[in-house]
Amino acid sequence: MVFSSLTFLYYFLPIVLIVYILIPNKINVPLGGERVLVVPARNLLILLTGFFFYAWGEPFYVIIMLFSTMIDYTAGRMMHKYDDNPKIRTICLIISVCMNIGLLAVFKYSDFIFHTINSVFGTDITNPVILVNRAINDIYDFGLSENSVALPIGISFYTFQSMSYTIDLYLRKIDVQKSFIGFTSYVTLFPQIVAGPIVRYEDVAAEIEERKVNIGGISEGIAKFSKGLAKKVLLANNIGIIWTEVKAMDPAHISAATAWLGILAFTFQIYFDFSGYSDMAVGLGKMLGFNFPKNFDHPYLSKSVSEFWRRWHITLGTWFREYVYIPLGGNRKGMAKTLRNLLIVWGLTGLWHGASWNFVIWGLYYGILIIIERVGWGKLLEKLPSGISMLYTFLAAVFGWVLFDTDTLGGAWQYIKAMFGAGGTLYDSTSAYMLASNALIYIICIFASTDIFTRLTEFFKKKKKRIYAYTVPAAVACVLLLCTSYLVDASYNPFLYFRF
Amino acid sequence: MKYKKRKRVNIPNLITCIVFFGILIFMAVMTIALPKKDFLEMENDYAEKFPELSAKAVFNRSYMNKMESYISDHFAGRISWIKGRTVLETSLGKKERNGIYILDDRLVEKISEPDMTSVDKAIAAINKFADGLDIPVFAMIVPTSAEIYSDELPENAPNADQKKFIEYVYRNLGRSVNTIDVYQTMMSNRDDYIYYRTDHHWTTKGAYLAYSAAGKKMGYVPVPIDLFDIEHAGRDFIGTFYSKTLYDGVERDTIDFYHNSEGEKATEVSITESFGEEPEVFDSMYFREYLGVKDKYSSFLGTNKPIVTIKADNDGGKLLVVKDSYAHCFAPFLTEHYSEITLVDLRYINISLSKVIDIDEYDQVLILYNASSFMTDTDIRKLGY
Repeated sequence: MVFSSLTFLYYFLPIVLIVYILIPNKINVPLGGERVLVVPARNLLILLTGFFFYAWGEPFYVIIMLFSTMIDYTAGRMMHKYDDNPKIRTICLIISVCMNIGLLAVFKYSDFIFHTINSVFGTDITNPVILVNRAINDIYDFGLSENSVALPIGISFYTFQSMSYTIDLYLRKIDVQKSFIGFTSYVTLFPQIVAGPIVRYEDVAAEIEERKVNIGGISEGIAKFSKGLAKKVLLANNIGIIWTEVKAMDPAHISAATAWLGILAFTFQIYFDFSGYSDMAVGLGKMLGFNFPKNFDHPYLSKSVSEFWRRWHITLGTWFREYVYIPLGGNRKGMAKTLRNLLIVWGLTGLWHGASWNFVIWGLYYGILIIIERVGWGKLLEKLPSGISMLYTFLAAVFGWVLFDTDTLGGAWQYIKAMFGAGGTLYDSTSAYMLASNALIYIICIFASTDIFTRLTEFFKKKKKRIYAYTVPAAVACVLLLCTSYLVDASYNPFLYFRF
Repeated sequence: MKYKKRKRVNIPNLITCIVFFGILIFMAVMTIALPKKDFLEMENDYAEKFPELSAKAVFNRSYMNKMESYISDHFAGRISWIKGRTVLETSLGKKERNGIYILDDRLVEKISEPDMTSVDKAIAAINKFADGLDIPVFAMIVPTSAEIYSDELPENAPNADQKKFIEYVYRNLGRSVNTIDVYQTMMSNRDDYIYYRTDHHWTTKGAYLAYSAAGKKMGYVPVPIDLFDIEHAGRDFIGTFYSKTLYDGVERDTIDFYHNSEGEKATEVSITESFGEEPEVFDSMYFREYLGVKDKYSSFLGTNKPIVTIKADNDGGKLLVVKDSYAHCFAPFLTEHYSEITLVDLRYINISLSKVIDIDEYDQVLILYNASSFMTDTDIRKLGY
């Protein structure tokens, strides 16, 4: 289920939230005598609804999530039980990490791996996962894909989240979660399961035990959710149509202006889609009493690529820093190791976004830009007027998106050439019409990518409290009505993270 | 007991919650409570039925997909929601929606550049077909409203040039095909009501003008327009372009029937739904039951069917028409001059034409398509088999 669907918005969300609000955090069930069973009612509800939410999109692979959750939970308990036995603790960690990485390898990367092997060695090996799928389908028609491995939704998010638990537990940064319901509710927490943010266990450990659900939190969550819904449905979906159109054209015959309009459309689409999704997740978390970390901070205003990645998909960057970069030695072991570590982290970051060479190159592209900034370019950037350094960073991101969303490296190269006029013309009637009929949405997207709206709301929040307070419900109503009118006629409402 | 300090509830926060959940719950309940329609007239399609739960349907996700379609198809006030969106977008200056351009007083189709290799196959098939026949073959490709009113389109709006396209087709049709040019006819009458404002068809008036223009080549003297009694049979017709946009800013259409004041010539209409079955026989070309539903254009000879034969009371020859739906309001005029007119719709014929039609019985063949459907057609090539 996706947040931007009528089913979620009008049925799942209100039903779950109302039940959630009505029940207490914990229910004490007397078992006779002195004994009392404490049922963590809200966590249980989160667990059940999370499974339902996930199974709505992945009715079969929900068992993989359950499987990974059980392994990680058990690994945690074992680490705790054998607290003074470093060997057992290490083994538990290795099992957990290997299992999670293994799931990614099997379900996300196996096709890519076998495809690469086959094309390098000229072999024709069938991915064994497909053979397993076929065998399972023979037993009962589960409708598993028999030609390619279908990536289970959100697998890249929940495996990373679970790993944050076992790794941090191993590093003794957090306490063990003894309750299976508690741990599972963390993994299945529906706001963040399909598209992040990558909430580390540490971030919500306290809230899993005890959290406040009140009108203030709910209304704050509603405002944040509505903001995200508007970004996704009104901005991302509408500007995304342009990119879909341009992408369908032959890059050898489009004008430079068309190519730019197309990739700019995608630049805005991916930002509003992804950050909108994160806002919705954060908002839903707030309604449930959780405080998720911020995932986007106006990345297109960054003045260097390094800064861009501190403001884009922040929770992913944090994850790789905490669990890959720093354990590898970070930047404390000399220049050569630092460079190696950066390239590893960025190669992996690229690969995390999808199993294809485009994504690896896309990640390394950023790794190299960041290295160049480290060795001096960054210092120079700081001295440049901020308009120029922002433009540089924005353009770096735009070219990155070409790599990101054209399916092959050849396609990316073709497209980049088109942006420089290889299609023969700089400007033609197609681009003129595209610009004229979509000028408004581009302008809105440009403004909405800056922090103007955030500053404006901060100003009203502080200086004009009453106006602000009553604007919120009015804005929420407008967003809800507008988005509904777009969702009812959902001719274009893509889910962009199916490859993550 | 400890005294618990009661925090004052923040009113705006409370309003936010009430507004948000109020809208959600109200719409959710209304959607469940309102009576369900089986048929979506705007989409011309059946509405999704409430899905049946089964393990198989759950595992292959069809249950979930159907449930989502069900909710969307039956969402309370569905049409009004979509209209609201159109009103918003057009008021923000958007002139295009779902492949339809919104002009000042009409809707027209956005026609993309045709795939010429596919068009060439159709042309080759017609040539092959005509070369194998001893009887005259005529071809009439009718421009659509997007061409005739192309000067009213938004600036630079992509729109395939139908004039060039028709010229290309006519140039490449061989000598055994007589082409009938109606482009000029339509263009010079563009101020008249020759195309529906909300539908992709031409009006009966448009068809009449083409019928008059074709007379010279096909060898008949067209009946003058003042000999017809014009019946405004269907008012408030809203066609396919309307369904795609739900834009209320253009005037609705009227379906006109042209009756010869000296009496109708058509005596019998027989429609073959599927081969091997006896055709169903009707006594009129006008299917008035369609005037009461949304799809009013189908009052001309019904919806598209593989074979429709019209018998008429005169001593003219027999005509075979290979056609799309533009022929439906055109055919009644032909009954003035032909004793039998057979309309074949190749989209619905999947066996060789010679198996269903004895071509030797006919005196003339007319190939009648509008330019838009000719551009995308993949069935005309069946003529070559």
